[in-house]
Amino acid sequence: MLEKIQSLGEQGLAQISSVTSLDELEQARVHWLGKKGAFSEVLKGLGSVSSEERPKIGAAANEWKSKIEMALDARKSRFESEDLERRLRTERIDPSLPARALHKGSLHPVTQTTRKIVDILARLGFDVTTGPEIETEFLNFEAVNIPKDHPARDMQDTFFMGPGVVLRTHTSAVQMRALRSRPWPVRILCPGAVYRCDNDATHLPMFHQVEGLWVDRKVRMSDLKGTLEFLAKELFGNETKIRLRPSYFPFVEPGAEVDVSCFQCRTKPSAHCRICKGSGWLEVLGAGMVHPRLFEMAGYDPKEVQGLAFGLGVERIAMLLNHIPDLRLMVQGDVRFLSQF
Amino acid sequence: MKVSWNWLSDGLDWSGARENTSTPMTPKALADLLTSLGLEVEEMESQAQAFDHVVTAQILEKKPHPQADRLSLCKVSIGKGDPLDIVCGAQNMKAGDKIVLAQVGANLPNGMKIAQGKIRGEVSNGMLCSETELGFAKESEGLLILPPEAEVGIPLAEYLHKNDTIFTLKLTANRGDCLSHQGLAREIAAALGISLKPMPVGKNWSEIAAHGSSKIQVALHAGEEGRQFYGVHISGVKIGPSPEWLVRRLESVGSRSINNVVDATNFVMLELGQPTHAYDASTLKGNLVQIRTARAGEKIVLLDGSEVELKGGELVIADSENPVALAGVMGGKYSEVSESTTDLYLECAEFSPVSVRKMASGFQKHTDAAHRFERGIDPEGLEKAMARLTSLILDLAGGEIKGVSFAKNETKKKPPIVLNPNWLCGFLGLEVADEKIEKILKAQGCSVNTQNKLEWIVVAPSHRHDLSLREDLAEEVARAVGYDQIPSTVPALSSQPLAVSSEPTFAGFRLLNRAKDMLAASGLSEAWNFSFTSASWLKTLGFEPGLKVKNPLSEEHECLVPSLLPGLIQNALGNWNHHFGSESPAIRLFEIRPTFAYLASEGEAGKEVSPQVRALSETQTNTQEKFKLAFAISGARMASGLKVDHQEVDFYDVKAIVESLLQSLGSRGVRFIPLHQSRNANTPLHGLFHPGQSVEVLAGNQVAGVFGLMHPAYAKSLKARAPLWLCEIDWEMLAKLSRSVLDAPSFSPWSEFPPMERDFALVVKEEVTAEKLTALALKAGKPIAKSAKIFDVYRGSQVAQGMTSVGVRVIFFTEGRSLQESETEAASTQIIQAWKKELGADLRSS
Repeated sequence: MLEKIQSLGEQGLAQISSVTSLDELEQARVHWLGKKGAFSEVLKGLGSVSSEERPKIGAAANEWKSKIEMALDARKSRFESEDLERRLRTERIDPSLPARALHKGSLHPVTQTTRKIVDILARLGFDVTTGPEIETEFLNFEAVNIPKDHPARDMQDTFFMGPGVVLRTHTSAVQMRALRSRPWPVRILCPGAVYRCDNDATHLPMFHQVEGLWVDRKVRMSDLKGTLEFLAKELFGNETKIRLRPSYFPFVEPGAEVDVSCFQCRTKPSAHCRICKGSGWLEVLGAGMVHPRLFEMAGYDPKEVQGLAFGLGVERIAMLLNHIPDLRLMVQGDVRFLSQF
Repeated sequence: MKVSWNWLSDGLDWSGARENTSTPMTPKALADLLTSLGLEVEEMESQAQAFDHVVTAQILEKKPHPQADRLSLCKVSIGKGDPLDIVCGAQNMKAGDKIVLAQVGANLPNGMKIAQGKIRGEVSNGMLCSETELGFAKESEGLLILPPEAEVGIPLAEYLHKNDTIFTLKLTANRGDCLSHQGLAREIAAALGISLKPMPVGKNWSEIAAHGSSKIQVALHAGEEGRQFYGVHISGVKIGPSPEWLVRRLESVGSRSINNVVDATNFVMLELGQPTHAYDASTLKGNLVQIRTARAGEKIVLLDGSEVELKGGELVIADSENPVALAGVMGGKYSEVSESTTDLYLECAEFSPVSVRKMASGFQKHTDAAHRFERGIDPEGLEKAMARLTSLILDLAGGEIKGVSFAKNETKKKPPIVLNPNWLCGFLGLEVADEKIEKILKAQGCSVNTQNKLEWIVVAPSHRHDLSLREDLAEEVARAVGYDQIPSTVPALSSQPLAVSSEPTFAGFRLLNRAKDMLAASGLSEAWNFSFTSASWLKTLGFEPGLKVKNPLSEEHECLVPSLLPGLIQNALGNWNHHFGSESPAIRLFEIRPTFAYLASEGEAGKEVSPQVRALSETQTNTQEKFKLAFAISGARMASGLKVDHQEVDFYDVKAIVESLLQSLGSRGVRFIPLHQSRNANTPLHGLFHPGQSVEVLAGNQVAGVFGLMHPAYAKSLKARAPLWLCEIDWEMLAKLSRSVLDAPSFSPWSEFPPMERDFALVVKEEVTAEKLTALALKAGKPIAKSAKIFDVYRGSQVAQGMTSVGVRVIFFTEGRSLQESETEAASTQIIQAWKKELGADLRSS
């Protein structure tokens, strides 16, 4: 019987080594090791064997069964790893096919630029306040020292709505509301839309400004310069310089036009620079020290307080920052434009 | 204003400038200086530049071109070197003629560039010029032939005396004193520390006044409005053309020559800034010239030929009967100086800037004179200007002074300015020595008394109307020192920043930004449409044109928008029109900005039918601005993908955008009801929507807006290329129901114990909405049914006509313990019974 077991074992190992698939392997397992398998059949005859012989035969049978078991397992894991390799070889996608993309939304360049300006100046302590776009002539003009029948009115072509009512021509109109509504110190930014009767390649009848106003006991003109220099550096880069030129705005004295150094030809000065037209400077805002007349109008004592004020056109800065070649693109609602920002 | 370098140079001694700087003053350096002083030079034009390489020349020889009948070969001399060969197509010249030659390298005013070339085989070294080519005329025939005495071989610019540089200045409204060559020269002299040359005045005023009183009397009847009047009566003048120097000078700054007398008045204005006027003295009735206010109904024909009717109250110059001029604006036709005039009456006066401005704007006569009076002339400069004018006219037109007349109102002296130099330095943030401040102010013509070190007494010169406050003096000092010398500092915080989070406008601004961010995160792009649109577009969309601009740029910009949707719909149409390709483009646009209406109280019954916009107080109008949130979407749900992924957006995409917005704003109490169930469906906004595929948005019990599909009738009439989904919600109502920016979302815990799920398949009538099924499930399954949602809907052949098969999943759990199977079973039974009883829903037998 020992010989029979030995020959069965050898036959089994030989057959397992020639198996070619997982299915065959499973059949082989049943054939050799199953309840009705080859070894079980042989061991049925164990009853006729003497009790001295039995342990020997049992041990031999178990030894062969475990050898076959190991051979089956080895065979199986080989088949499985071959199968995995085959899957990894064949289950391939084309990653260059188009993505199933969600729509990417965007904020208008004017909104983005306004936020940038507000965020930068908020670090210096400015708060935001707003006012209506339909404004009284009083707050838009008289209250900011532009009396009726004064040539300064010519500086801004105004849309009229009715007696004493205009579409505000500048966010300076918010100044007096703010000044009258609180005691000094006042540190405010007024962002918003403004309107002027102007419509050509470089002017829209509606555009956006951010007005800044800082009123306190000892505000100096040098503070104005430092504030604007900080803003310019944060907007256009740390090497940006600013230049103040004397100018006239009725609500400030002294008044200044403010230019920033051209960020395009900063590294490579060019007489043909498309941005600054070779001048090296970009005119971006108007500024000055708050006119004492405004303090009187607000009920402050002009001997007690001083203030700095500035106003900038948001579109102009957005065009510079986003390299937008034509102002009109801003208002055309074209998705090819709007989705870029 | 145009300014001539040569004219300025007549009044300035540049040699001083040379001493201060190493190089002589150039026009370019002057332009930079003026700009840095706040007198912005917009443009600078060198006259000679246009005629570079263009010279006077003489034709020595002319013979026909061998290859072309119409062309000639000329030998041309430029006075030196060998004669040049020039091919010429003109016919009007002969040997010996003096002509203008454009040499190789010239860029002519008409844009022609001259290069050496061969014309039909013959070499040509330049071009003989016509008047057209030189920019002198729009059309001309043949060459410009110069007079025989013309010097040959000199630059054309020199021959024409075109050697000036002309600056165009953009002067601000406060600097009326710079509206003349002398005014500018004064400014330049102060800036450079150089001296002014004495003006060739001729006779001075006292010499002229010595001729005694004129028989023409002057009377001031308008008080403060007509302040001073000087008149000179000259007889025996001869009106004729002006001499060439005068014509050239006027033309160089864009002023047309008319005759010697009129030119003299213009010259004085451009030189000294004082407008003057010459009347034909023989036309003045009653030997009287008066400044008075006009009577209603008086008429005057002006020099430009237009007739104006006066409303009464305007400031006029009148003789004993009629107005003869609008004071400071324009003279009358009747008293105009003509060729036959022999008697002149000259006017040099000061009027109130406001009176002049009212007329200039009222009658739309923005003349050079009015421009100067509006900005304020030098009240102490009248005698000088009159003396200059009189002397010039005597020179140019002859005649003799018959007498003078003048009248002057008592004028208030400008109050002196008290200046503390320490304050000035503190104000500018710049240390300037007292002596320097004093020197700067004196250079500007101020008188400065520094006796009290801390309270200087400064009196500004009469021509500087812009100097009346200490801040004005600070600007003068800053200008003179240079704005670039002011250091950069930052303002110090003297108090805590305002606690803005609880400040309504700031909180509102932040909330609005959050909404914009959320909409952008939902894949929408922010658009910006103008606040105005046309009445016809509003009418097309069923809106009433409400607030109108009185002076719109065009019909397109007439009405302020009552809704943001007209703009967004226009954007959609525009995008469809721009688009080419097989799929319709994805349009996903939003806006949050104000819309405009009358105050609610204005529209109430019993009030005016069509109110007009007006101010209710210094700070209030009868209008209101309502911020709205709106969006428009159309096209594919996904931005990209394969055909299998392609689906058009539908109602539930729109609903998702609105719901995620509400969620992120923390808005509570916002409900949607089907539009066809709305009780307010007759508003223009409602009318834009498909009643079956849209909902009304209710904020509390108020109608806050609508979203859904654009009404098919509009889609058809507007030729919409694809379904357009729209939404507009009143922002203020939404903001009121939203979580304040101060409140952070609160954490809510989930159950520790596993929930149980039950799925139900129901068959219900089509009218039964999902919301009814889920709401009833939660009610009947109380307290353990915590959520119910629809997960499947089917209509079609598998269910009876008019019925829907619906899959509902209910989730049960309870706090603090695990649910028993029997509890869930009991609750499920109750739910099924409630569905059956209240909604007629049956469980579907599978």
